[in-house]
Amino acid sequence: MAINTVPPLIAAQLNYLLSNSPLPINVEQMWSGSKHHGLLDRFTLVIPFCLDYIRWDVIYNALYPLAAPDIIFGPEDESFRPYHVGGGDGDLKSPRKSLSDWNCKDPTWLLSLILELRELYMTYQRKRVGEVDDERLKFELSTIVPREGIEMYMRSGIEKTEEVKFAVPLLGVDINKMVTGCPWRHQQKIFLEVIFPVGRKYRHAPSTPRLKLVASPELKALFSTEDFRLPPWLDDMCMAEYLPILEGLLQSQIVDAVSSIDVRRKFIVALAPLFGRPVEADPVFCRKVAFLTSSGVFTFLVHFSLPLQFPKQQPVLMLQSSQHFNPSGAPIKSPVITEFPWSSTWESSEMAERFFDFLVEECLNFKKYCNESLLQQR
Amino acid sequence: MDDLPLQKIQISGPTLASLLQRFSSSPGDVDGLLFGRVTHIAATTFADDDPTTTVAASSSFDSPTLIATITSFICSNSNSTFYDSAGRLNLLSLRRICSDNQTLSLLGWFSGRRKTPLRPSMRESAVTSSLSSKIQFAFQVENSPKSYTLSPCVFLLLTTPFHDQLIHTHEYRAYQFRLSTEFFEPKTLDVVNIGPAFRGHYGAFCPNSQFPMLPCELRVSSSMAEDGNCESESLKSMKRVSEDQRVLDMYAEDFDVGRLNRLIGSDAANYTGELEDMYKKMLAKLEGLARLVEKSSARVLEQENHNMKLRCRVAGLE
Repeated sequence: MAINTVPPLIAAQLNYLLSNSPLPINVEQMWSGSKHHGLLDRFTLVIPFCLDYIRWDVIYNALYPLAAPDIIFGPEDESFRPYHVGGGDGDLKSPRKSLSDWNCKDPTWLLSLILELRELYMTYQRKRVGEVDDERLKFELSTIVPREGIEMYMRSGIEKTEEVKFAVPLLGVDINKMVTGCPWRHQQKIFLEVIFPVGRKYRHAPSTPRLKLVASPELKALFSTEDFRLPPWLDDMCMAEYLPILEGLLQSQIVDAVSSIDVRRKFIVALAPLFGRPVEADPVFCRKVAFLTSSGVFTFLVHFSLPLQFPKQQPVLMLQSSQHFNPSGAPIKSPVITEFPWSSTWESSEMAERFFDFLVEECLNFKKYCNESLLQQR
Repeated sequence: MDDLPLQKIQISGPTLASLLQRFSSSPGDVDGLLFGRVTHIAATTFADDDPTTTVAASSSFDSPTLIATITSFICSNSNSTFYDSAGRLNLLSLRRICSDNQTLSLLGWFSGRRKTPLRPSMRESAVTSSLSSKIQFAFQVENSPKSYTLSPCVFLLLTTPFHDQLIHTHEYRAYQFRLSTEFFEPKTLDVVNIGPAFRGHYGAFCPNSQFPMLPCELRVSSSMAEDGNCESESLKSMKRVSEDQRVLDMYAEDFDVGRLNRLIGSDAANYTGELEDMYKKMLAKLEGLARLVEKSSARVLEQENHNMKLRCRVAGLE
């Protein structure tokens, strides 16, 4: 038996989980639980939950490959019991069914077990939050629960205060569909993270919860949550009142973001008659474009980088020579150019012309810069 | 069944050592059952006041001081011997294992798994809570003024640290599972060792296999031959004698049951010599049994290796 290999049955189930999971689950570490053999039969899964991660250890036994795995939950979740004690065989949702009928040859079982347990964990956290003795929280719970997909989590925050965190999915619209030719594999979502402190000392203080907008990572090609300003949370507001306001603002901004793709596209199209067909361009989000151009015998690339706030925010230029190379063999690039004549009120054709005129002058400076760098190398 | 807290859990040094040895020599994870007894310790309240007027005296009856003592265990070299993957108990196999240990009560169970965190897992929680809710395994607390019954609620968890270390090789923690809160309460595990300083701790220990009750007065050959009427009776008594000899042969090798009368009574002038002889014969018997166990262990190991090869083949590990 080879050292540090994963037994095939376990590997099949783990690979299926990693490639087919609807949530981005990762494996943090793998190790061996048997005495002599280096067979890796234990691993830690990092599962996203409530805009954070929970870590569960999945314990297989390499010497008993037909058996179902056991799971060790996090240290704070000692009271999480996903099965029903004393009851009958339970309903179909209980993981007892999938565990007792465990089919080791079916690679889908581990994923379905983990997803089932995650659902039960969500219910368990909801129950825990419901048991917190805080009137404000109980009110929030009663008004917000009809929404789908909310996850909540109770944890002890800094300085031993307890906090309850809500992750509220916003915007029922399918953002993926709004972008033509969208390359995203997962469904992009935006969540509002609301953290309420819980505890007696906060009863007198007006407790404004901590708010944060969190989006799935690939969304930043289209829309930046950091640039979005959250509407203020007024005193005595509750989530049920705040969310519609927020969603309205967010919806309009997303629509704007999608339409700004077209603005950028128009600009790129306007550059083409002057610079030629682009060598490289981002066709979906239109954030980048590169042209190959020449001035006399000097041939170089022009890189345009268009920000999300284009045209309110100006683009950024960078030149790259195709004839001058630095000692490690990479082509010489100019520093990022931000000083050029620019106005956001120009039409895209005028913008293109101005860039063309600017570059006619600038490329001579760049050529000098490249020649000087070469001289310095010798 | 009463849901009472244990003050602490005791285990004898040799028992814990052999438990750890079984765990560390096994190729995979192990589990097994723990046997022993729970005794009630009378709380000593040194109060100056009249005991009937103080509240302290009455509170000792509300929560009696109970100590669980683990004296033996049964370890299987695999996981899931008496339960299935979902944590449901297999009552048949559980009863079968427990039936061999009639004198001791089932205190709980233990689980050993390498390189895992030291807290109960999903399946272990399921098994422990099922086990402690089974009335048929409840047992009486010994030595107590009131009658208390407890269910098997002790869980001992053994693990090894994540990174192999030379000195710190094992970790263990003992829990009591409380039915009322469904919570694993960690309890101190006292190790009772051999030696004069620890003799007092052995108060809760008593022998597992006691010497059988055998008659020490046998006048079979002399009196029966005189009376012809007693032929049928002599047959009965001969049967009894051979029966007694068979029982004695389980404890000692080649010790004639007739010599027992030299140990007590009027003929017991030389009883030390006889006792020493009997003890020698008992040791010889133990040696014979040990050899038998060795041979059968070797065969079990062969079979286990064969099974493991088959299992690896099924798993595609070869």
